[in-house]
This record gives sequence, structure tokens and C-alpha cells, in this order.
Amino acid sequence: MTLTAFPPPPPGADYDDLRQEVRAFLAEELAGFPPEKRAESWNGFSRAFSRKLAQRGWVGMTFPREYGGHARSALERYVVSEELLAAGAPVISHWIADRQSGPLILAKGTEEQKRAIVPRIAAGELCFCIGMSEPDSGSDLAATRTVATEVEGGFRVNGTKVWTTYAHVADYMILFCRTGKSDDRHGGMSQFLIDLKATENIQISPIIDLGGEHHFNQVIFDDTFLPSDALLGEKGEGWSQVMSELAFERSGPERFLSSFALIEELIRVLRQDATEAQQAEIGRLSAHLMVLRQMSRSVAGMLNEGKNPALQAAIVKDLGALYEQDIPRLARSLVSRPAVPGGRDSYAAVLAYTELAVPSFSLRGGTREILRGIIARGLGLR
Amino acid sequence: MESMIHDMAERLFRDHIGHGLREGAAAGQCPEALWTRIEEAGLPMALVPEEAGGFGVPAAEALGLVRIAGAHGLPLPLAETLIANAVLARAGLTLPGGRLTIAEGAALRLDRRGAAIHASGPLTLVPFARWADRIVTIAALDGVDHVLSLPVKDLTVTPAQDLAGMPRDDAGVDLALTDADAAPLPRSLGGMRGLGALARSLATAGAMETILSMTVEYANDRVQFGRPIGKFQAIQHYLATMAGETAASRAAAEMAADSYDTPAFALTVAAAKSRSGEAAETVGALAHQVHGAIGYTQEHALHHFTKRIWSWRDEFGTELDWTRELGRAALSSPRDTFWHFITDSTAQGIPA
Ligand SMILES: Cc1cc2nc3c(=O)[nH]c(=O)nc-3n(C[C@H](O)[C@H](O)[C@H](O)COP(=O)(O)OP(=O)(O)OC[C@H]3O[C@@H](n4cnc5c(N)ncnc54)[C@H](O)[C@@H]3O)c2cc1C
Repeated sequence: MTLTAFPPPPPGADYDDLRQEVRAFLAEELAGFPPEKRAESWNGFSRAFSRKLAQRGWVGMTFPREYGGHARSALERYVVSEELLAAGAPVISHWIADRQSGPLILAKGTEEQKRAIVPRIAAGELCFCIGMSEPDSGSDLAATRTVATEVEGGFRVNGTKVWTTYAHVADYMILFCRTGKSDDRHGGMSQFLIDLKATENIQISPIIDLGGEHHFNQVIFDDTFLPSDALLGEKGEGWSQVMSELAFERSGPERFLSSFALIEELIRVLRQDATEAQQAEIGRLSAHLMVLRQMSRSVAGMLNEGKNPALQAAIVKDLGALYEQDIPRLARSLVSRPAVPGGRDSYAAVLAYTELAVPSFSLRGGTREILRGIIARGLGLR
Repeated sequence: MESMIHDMAERLFRDHIGHGLREGAAAGQCPEALWTRIEEAGLPMALVPEEAGGFGVPAAEALGLVRIAGAHGLPLPLAETLIANAVLARAGLTLPGGRLTIAEGAALRLDRRGAAIHASGPLTLVPFARWADRIVTIAALDGVDHVLSLPVKDLTVTPAQDLAGMPRDDAGVDLALTDADAAPLPRSLGGMRGLGALARSLATAGAMETILSMTVEYANDRVQFGRPIGKFQAIQHYLATMAGETAASRAAAEMAADSYDTPAFALTVAAAKSRSGEAAETVGALAHQVHGAIGYTQEHALHHFTKRIWSWRDEFGTELDWTRELGRAALSSPRDTFWHFITDSTAQGIPA
């Protein structure tokens, strides 16, 4: 696979009937949902919405039927994902589980884990969070200090995770931590499936973000006991398991549609009469979006064929973050209206929300600098 | 994509195009022997439907030849001949063989004079005109698009060139055409501007892939401060940026190629040409930055590729032309939301 080749998605990837069904559903469910809520993009939380979506068969779409899934293709899932994001639907409650935790459990979990968890993910009932980052381990994930020590009947965990998005409401965490010593920097790591509602000695406290909102948390493990069957996958194989999640985590439409509500507002404002210069900027914005979407759908096509396009995914995420971060600047260069948090009108409110959201886009899910290092190595730099 | 014609073209170009041949062409020598091989391989007919003498490969695959030619810096009008043949075939005109080129015919004036059609006016910056046997163009007669096949020997050709030294000639037309050389175009293929833009985006993507691999190789080989410069993070990030822009250009061009001869083409080609044109800026600049002074010499091969991608930006519509067109379409779309415009713009099955 050449790194710069993104073959077009296969013919028929439009799934237009499915798209129209999703649009009709969203038109009804989100009627009256205001633009400033839509601006939260995939950070919006609603268990009720996730469950309704699941009732339509649109959560766990790619999971096998025997685990409550719908055995649909990655490209069909893609259609649903992008329609949800474009509409600004509140999806985070099921998003992480649907995108990466579910597929991880299906790939590496025991039969019991699969039967116990996956059908509930597909029902839209479970919210997952990811416990990777720590105070001294951000980009350098291998510097993880949190440790799980083997004891009678299971493990005892000690350590601190930070930036754990929605840990305060989540049902499960997939924890990445150390389980042994190894000469290899990437060795001795494992993943655990933690039932947050049923496990004692886990202290979850809010970290308020710069917008004044509570999305992420600090999670402290204090001699927390986990039963043996909480181990997810092979002991000591945590690193390679995490790496195999990345193509799912980094290539989706959420990597370039996070500012989409502002784009819709901008177009609405300019629609009446745009100068030639404004038209050209909107054209440029359209061209970039069409191309990112093509690349992201191409990766979905590769995933569907069972390939591991982790490098292509890194490219999509790097270009996607540049794009979605640039939208407030672009809007400000075309329309002279101040950002007002909470807003006088929807444009002002959405601009304010998005301005405060964009700095995180090139941090979460792997920073720009780390992605570029990965891409450079993929190019064959020695 | 596994493709026999791609493999064949790769081999042919790899074996027969080198720095010397590109230098010679930039100095004005048409590489005739190479053209003969290209014709013998049948490549100029790849985009023509089977019933008109083509060999029945999908259009996107045939168009892939243009990317491969771009990757090798082919100094001949293969892309132009492919397109000219496809347009002639669509209009039911004979395929004359030989080297053909294409031009936008908006400045031509057509009048009926008896049984003949009289064509007059200027064609500007026509690719490889002085090396071509015919220029194929499209112009309107009584509001109907007509395909014209103009013998270069009957035109007044004034030589000029692009940044890479490739012929881009002006041609004055003042000619009576019989219906052997002029015919209405029954169903548009996207106009010469669109088709030319498609070819240039594909070639740009190919040339960028070559620029990228040359630059990676150089970063691995060039040692400063006791280590290959590719070990420096600043250089690594430049290369990663080049890779992203290259990948985006190729995806964009292939998106347009994939919608060749469908209603989606009008917008996908606008996206492709403007996106690859924008990327040419970044990729060219960073490639030269990594190569240092040696890359700024005539002796080094890099300039043949960077000058081509810079030139191609200006042909068949600049970024400004295409983004305006796309922006106008987006802002005047009858669809409820911008999102619907975006999904429709690339939809494979949208009605004409
Ligand atoms: C909104 C948001 C949600 C998040 N949600 C979660 C979550 O749910 N679960 C979770 O585990 N984590 C989460 N994270 C954390 C995220 O994964 C980290 O922020 C990220 O990995 C970077 O780590 P850091 O913040 O410690 O920065 P650092 O790693 O300290 O980096 C600081 C700066 O140094 C640069 N840098 C670091 N190393 C290098 C290097 N080798 N070369 C060049 N530059 C370098 C970085 O690119 C960055 O610019 C979230 C973060 C955000 C912003």
C-alpha cells in the first residue's frame, strides 16, 4: 500500500436509501435542537438519543449479529456517522464504544466478555471511556505509570489517569496500564475492561475545561481490585492492542467535521449576497471538505477489506484537524460579527463555542507533532 | 489498483525517460522515438470507448496513465492526446492518429459558410501545439457545442513555453472546416477546461509523488552535523506535510477521474484542480527547502517536477477560477443545507 494512495470508495458506497432514512430520523429527533447545541458536535451527550439510534439499528452496525450487531459494512456505518456529525447530533454516549471499544472487545475479548458487553453496546446502553493519558504520560504513552499487580483472583491497580472524557458518566473504562517489567519500552503493558459502576476504590473528579465545561476527569485508582476476567486480550500485549485501535480512532468523519455547525452558520449568513472573494473562500472550503471526505471514506473502504490503514488514518487526522481548526479564522475573515458565548444570535453563539473548542482538535487522539512523526516514519525515513 | 496498462506505462517511462531527455525537451527537442513507443503500446487510445477502437479499460484506469506520466515528467502530449481522442470519438469524428493536443475554444468564432463551418480567432497557450498534428477544441455554433479538429499546419503558431520549458504555443485560427473536422458534441464530457483540469490534477498528483520520494531519499542520504538530515524533526515534519498534501491531491484527482462522464464531474473536477493547485505551493516549497542548494540547480532533476506542478496550476483554470465556481454552486444550491450540497457533489448516482 503506497502511503499517498487513497483508492476511491467502491461503487455503491453512497447507500442513498440508508442516508435518507437517517436524515428523516434526525429531522424528527433533532427538530428544535439549537445550533449552539449542534456546535458541540460529537461531544454532546444524550443516553436517550443513543438508545433511539440503536433501536433503528445504527449503533454497532458492523458488529456480528450473534453479538447484537447488524453485520453491515464499514461504509454503511460511515454514512450514518457522517450524517450524525453533520447534523450535530449528541452522540458521545455511544460513540467511543461503537468506534473502538466494541471492535476491540470483539477482536481481543473472551467469549464471556463479548457476550456480556457487546450486545449492550449495540443497544446504545453503554458509555465507554478511554484511560490512557496520565499526568506524566501524554504523547509518550509508553511512560505509563499506572500499574496492575497480579494478586489472588485478579489484579490490584494503582495510579492516576487524566483527561478521561466522560469518565464521570461512563459505564466502562478501557484502562491501559503496566502489568510487568520488560526490556522493551512497549512491553509489559495490558488493557483492562473496568465496570466503573461496580468497582470500588476508583475516585473520579472533574477537570473543567477552558470553556467552563465538565467533559474530562481525573481518575485515581487506589488499590483497586479487578477480577482476573477484567483483563482484555493478552497480558503484556497492551501496546499492540492499542495500536490496532488507532486506524478506527483517527480516520473517521469526526476528524474533520467538528466545526461543521459553524460552516453551516457561515453559509447561511453568506447565502444572500456573497462577493466573488467570499465565493472563492467558500469554494476552497468546499473543495477541502470534499477531498477529506473522499480520503476518510477511502480509509473506511480499506478497513472494510480487513487492512490496517493506520498511516493513512494519521494523514486524515492531521489534515482534518488543520481543516476544522481553520474554520473560525475563515469565518472571521468573511463575516464581521463578534463571537458571543451563549449568543445573541446563532452565528455569534456557534462562533464563540467553536473558537474555544478548536485548540483541542490537534491534541486529542494524538497531537499534530506525534502524527507527523508517525507519517514521516511511514515514508521510510531511516 | 492492479492494472496491466499502468504496469506497461510504468516500465516504458522508467526505461526511456531520464534527466537528459527532459533537459532536451526543455531545450526544444521533441522526443520522437519515445512517442513512437507510446503509440506502439496503444496508450493514446486508452480513454476511447471500445466500439471506437479503444481497449475497453474503465475510464478511471485509463486516466491513471496521466498520473503516471506526471510521475515521470513525460515531456509529450499523452494526456492531451488521450482526451482529444475521447472527445473526437464522442462527436463521431475520425481519430486521425498521431500527436494531438487540446485547447479551450471559448475565444473562437464559428460561422456557417455554405456547407462549411468557418472558424476564426485565437487559441492561447496551447500545450505542445508545435509538436502536435492537430488541436482539438470545443466552440459554440448557434448555441451548440461543436468539436473541431484543427490541423496545426493550417494554423499560425507562435511559440511560447511554460515554467518547465514545455511548449505552450499560441495558435491563430482562420479556417474553413468540412464535417470531417467539425461536428456537434452530443453529450458534454465536461468541456475542454474541465477535461484539461482533470488531466493537470492527475499529473500534479503523480509529479508530487515523485517529488516526495526524491525528497525522502535525499533526507536519508544527506548528512550534516554527523547524521542524515532526515533525523531532524523539523525535516521529518516537512516530509509529513508534503505527504499529506500529496495524498490529498491524489485523492482529489482520483475522485474527479472516478466521476468522469457523470454529472458529478463538474464539481469534483473543481475540487480536484483547486486542491492540487493549492498543494503544489506547499509541496514545491518544502521539497526545495529540504534539498538545499543542490535542488536549486539545473543539474538536479527536482526542478523538472516542481516547475511542472507550478505551471499546471495556471492551466485550464487557476485555483481562483475553480474555487469561485465551486463556491457559487455551494452558495446558490437549492438544497436545504450545505451538507446536502457536499454529499450530492460526489454522489455516484445523481441524476443529470
Ligand atoms: C479534549 C480532550 C479530550 C481528551 N480525552 C482523553 C481521553 O478520553 N482519554 C485519554 O486517555 N486521553 C485523553 N486526552 C489526552 C490526549 O490524548 C493528550 O492530550 C495527548 O496525548 C497529548 O498529551 P499531553 O496533553 O500530555 O501533551 P504532551 O505530550 O505533554 O505534549 C505537549 C506538546 O509537546 C509536543 N510533544 C510531545 N512529545 C513530542 C515529541 N516527541 N516530538 C515533538 N513534539 C512533542 C506535543 O505534540 C504537544 O505539542 C484528551 C485530550 C483533550 C485535549
